[in-house]
Amino acid sequence: MIHGLPLRWTLALGAAAVVLLAALAFGSAGWDTALVLALRLPRVLAAAGVGALLALAGLVMQVLLRNPLADPYVLGTSGGASVGALAALLIGTHVWLGAGLGALGAGGLLLLLARRALASTDEASPRLILVGAMLAALFGALATLLLMMTPDERLRGAIFWLVGDLSAARDGGVCSAAAGLLLAILIVRGRPIDRLMLGSEAAGLLGEPVRRLRVELLAAASMAVGLAVATAGAVGFVGLVVPQAWRLAGVQHTRELAGLSAVGGATLLVAADLISRTVAAPMELPVGAVMALLGAPCFIALLVRGVR
Amino acid sequence: MPADPHPLIETRGLALWAGTRRLVDGLDWRVNAGERWCLIGRNASGKSSLLRALAGLPVPGRQGSVAWQGRPQGEWPAAEAACLRAWMPQQATDRFALPVRRLLELSRVQVEGSELDLATLDIADLADRPVTRLSGGERQRVAIAQAAVQGAPVMLMDEPIAFQDPAHQGLVARWCADWVLRRPGRALVMSSHDMHWVARAATHVLALHGDGRWRAGRAQDLLGAQPLGEIFGCDWLAAGGSWLPV
Repeated sequence: MIHGLPLRWTLALGAAAVVLLAALAFGSAGWDTALVLALRLPRVLAAAGVGALLALAGLVMQVLLRNPLADPYVLGTSGGASVGALAALLIGTHVWLGAGLGALGAGGLLLLLARRALASTDEASPRLILVGAMLAALFGALATLLLMMTPDERLRGAIFWLVGDLSAARDGGVCSAAAGLLLAILIVRGRPIDRLMLGSEAAGLLGEPVRRLRVELLAAASMAVGLAVATAGAVGFVGLVVPQAWRLAGVQHTRELAGLSAVGGATLLVAADLISRTVAAPMELPVGAVMALLGAPCFIALLVRGVR
Repeated sequence: MPADPHPLIETRGLALWAGTRRLVDGLDWRVNAGERWCLIGRNASGKSSLLRALAGLPVPGRQGSVAWQGRPQGEWPAAEAACLRAWMPQQATDRFALPVRRLLELSRVQVEGSELDLATLDIADLADRPVTRLSGGERQRVAIAQAAVQGAPVMLMDEPIAFQDPAHQGLVARWCADWVLRRPGRALVMSSHDMHWVARAATHVLALHGDGRWRAGRAQDLLGAQPLGEIFGCDWLAAGGSWLPV
C-alpha cells in the first residue's frame, strides 16, 4: 500500500473513472453541461449506487448461504422486493418500505428453507439454487397478479419493477450512502464474515457469535436489495458476477472483496446503463434486460463448469 | 504452569440416544492432561455423536453433563471455549476456494500454543493450493493443522486417518504423540477403526459397545484379542504385536 495501490485497485478505479466519464459524455444530445448535470449525472449516480448495493448484497448472500453462486435476483430476494414495491404502490405507501420488507421476507424465507432442506448436508449447492429459483418464480407470479390489479394510470411505472429500469431513477445519493454504510459494516465485520465462509458450525467453534452475525447480515442485505429495487427495479446478476470475478482474480479477504465489489458493481451497472440507452438510440432498453443478457450466460457457465 | 485439579474433560452420567436406540449410557469419564484417547466401536455406535457432545456441538438425544476444566460446558462463552477445545470433523465441506494458508490464518484463535511446522504434517508445499483442489488425505491433514493452529489445549478429531495412506497414518500417529508432549496441559480425543493405528497413536481407549455399555482404560489393557472380540463381535488374530480382525 505504501508503494501505491495494488494492481487490482488501480484497474478497478481506472475502469470506474473511464466508464463514469463515458456515461456522462455519451448520449442522445451529446455534451451539454446543463443537460449533463440535470439529467445524466443523477442517473449515473443512481446506477452507481444501485450497482454497488447489488454487488455487496450478492457478496453477503454468498457468505450467508455459503454458496458462491448466490445472487439476490436468482434466489428470489429481488422478486420479493418487487412484490413488496408493487404492493406498496397499490396501497399508496412508500415504495422503498414495501421493497425493503419484501426483500427481508424473501431472504428470511430462503434462509429458513435452506436450513430445513439442507440441514443434513450442510448447505449443499445445487439444491439451494433450485429452491431459490422456485422462490423467484413464485414471486414473479405474485408480481404478475399484482400488476393485473394495478390501475392503468400506474401500470407503466409498475412495469419498471419487473424489468429493472434506470430512466426514472433519481435516488442516487441515498443508494450511494446506503452502499457506503453496508461497505463499512462489511469492513468492520470482515474477519467474522471470513470465518462464516468456513461454515456456521466451524465459525461458532472459533468463537464467533454466528446467530447474531447472520441476522445482521440478512437484515443488511435485504435492506440493500430493497433500496436497489425501489430505485431501479429488479436488476439481476450484478451480485453474482462482480464478487465472483474478484474471487477468481484471487481476492480472499472479505474487507478487500467488499471494497472492490462496491467499485466493480457501480462500474458494471453504469456501463450496462450506458449500453442500454445508447445501443438502440433513440429507443432505451431496460437496464435489467441488458444485465440479464450479460449475466445469465456467466451464471450458466459457472454452474456448468463448477465454481473452483 | 500451576497444577489444575480439574480434568480437561469430565462427563457425568452422559447418555446419547439415536431415536429410541441407546448408544451410550451413564458415561462417567475423565480426560486428563497428557492423555491421548481413542474412541473405538462398531459403525453407528456413537463415536461421532460423543465427540460432538464433547466439543459442545448440538447432539440430538443427549442427557447428562460435560464439564471442561471443572466448569459445565454451557457456562463457557463461545470465545473462551474456542481457546480450550479445537474440533476436526470427519469430512470438511469447502464451498470457497480459499488457499490453505488463508484457511489456517482464519483458524487461529490465540497465539499461545498455535505454533505449527507444516512440514510435520507433510503439507508445507500445499500452503498456496486452494482447499478445493486437495486430495482427501491432504485435506484431512490440513484439517488437523486447522485444529492445531487454533491454539487450544484439547483437540477432538473424528477419524483423523480415514483417508490417509499407510505412510501418512504413521506420520499422523507420531504427530499426535508429539503434539501432546510438546506443551504441558494438552490432551487429545479421537476416533478410529484401525486397531493397529490406535495402538500406535493412543495412550487410552474408550470402547463403545453401541448398546449403552462402554469401557474405558489404558490402551494396552483394551487392545487385546479378548476385549476387542467383545466390543466388535468378531475374532481377532495377534499379528506382530498388533491385532487383525479375522
